Amino acid sequence: MNHNKWWSLVPILAAGLFLLVVNEKASAVDSSVVGTVQKAGGTVNIVRQGETMNAKVGLELWQNDTLRTGPDGSVGVLFKDDTSLSLGPDSALVIDEFVFAPHQGKFSIVVKMLKGTAVYISGLASRFEPDSTRFETPSASLGIRGTKFVVKVEEK
Amino acid sequence: MRPWKYVLAAGVILGLLTGCSNRKVIAPEPQSKIIDPIPVSREPDLVVLLPDPDGKVGVVQVTTKGGSQVLYKAGYGTMIEDDQKPPSVPRPITENEIKGIFGEALSAQPDLKGRFGSFTLWFENGSTELTAPSKKMLPEILGLIKERKSREIYVIGHTDRVGTDAFNLKLSSQRANRIRDLLVLKGIKAKEIMVSSYGEAKPLVYTEDEVAEPLNRRVEVLVR
Repeated sequence: MNHNKWWSLVPILAAGLFLLVVNEKASAVDSSVVGTVQKAGGTVNIVRQGETMNAKVGLELWQNDTLRTGPDGSVGVLFKDDTSLSLGPDSALVIDEFVFAPHQGKFSIVVKMLKGTAVYISGLASRFEPDSTRFETPSASLGIRGTKFVVKVEEK
Repeated sequence: MRPWKYVLAAGVILGLLTGCSNRKVIAPEPQSKIIDPIPVSREPDLVVLLPDPDGKVGVVQVTTKGGSQVLYKAGYGTMIEDDQKPPSVPRPITENEIKGIFGEALSAQPDLKGRFGSFTLWFENGSTELTAPSKKMLPEILGLIKERKSREIYVIGHTDRVGTDAFNLKLSSQRANRIRDLLVLKGIKAKEIMVSSYGEAKPLVYTEDEVAEPLNRRVEVLVR
């Protein structure tokens, strides 16, 4: 009689194992996540490896992502080191590089703003490595030492 | 590999076509004026320095092919007319101007409640002894760690430039360790505290070598 009861556990155990394995793989992919969308209004898109997706709150961002807002759009992003970046309407910005690895002593943030308006607040990386952040626009290069600034880039 | 033949053929044909178009036939000037191309925006780019959420003001250096400007006062901004010219001399930008231009971007800022807490503790010259005011900050740091149930705390040690690089590397490490020990004494788990030290390499305030600078004799405590 008891034989049957125990056998019914097998699929449950198998499912559990499967979930464990999938989770492991998921966290391996997680290491490529550089930040998340915290606020999004109007038209906001992320362009990733040629594909465009709608940016919703909670969306995870990867290195090389391009953030684009429409005429009615705005977006707020929090990076893994608590760097805060928000864009106003008609803006576009590429996350060129984001490395925050305190245990290896590696810190590097490179952002290329193509157009629009942005608000930037330095995060932890700048506390470890004051010169770790470069903010580029088509006309200028901004060296940042731990701070907050706003920047407007006119469409050329 | 047959498709490659077609690509080559297409390339050759295209080349011939464009080659042919190089023979120009000069047409008579049209009577009407040539319409101007769509005017390029003449509005300059703008960078304005603001105080960070803790009220601190950092530095932004703006560099074009024509030169560089440094913003170090909150509310000051510099304009970039074109990349061949240096950025303009920094001038104060009014709050209204800032809100007018950056209003939407400012409203989209992520909530700062989750942002890391940051403390700077200062030390007496050449020692691991905290200054009196800094000693009073320890309860506040502990309070925040406990309030957030934080398991990610960074302690970063620094020195000023008095002494050799080697001496200061050791001193900054001793300072950071001292703070870590003080936190552990009050119940914080050592494995949740990541300690690093930079000697005199990363000053808050630039000085010449061997210049004493109290602001650089510090340990930064960052609480996630």
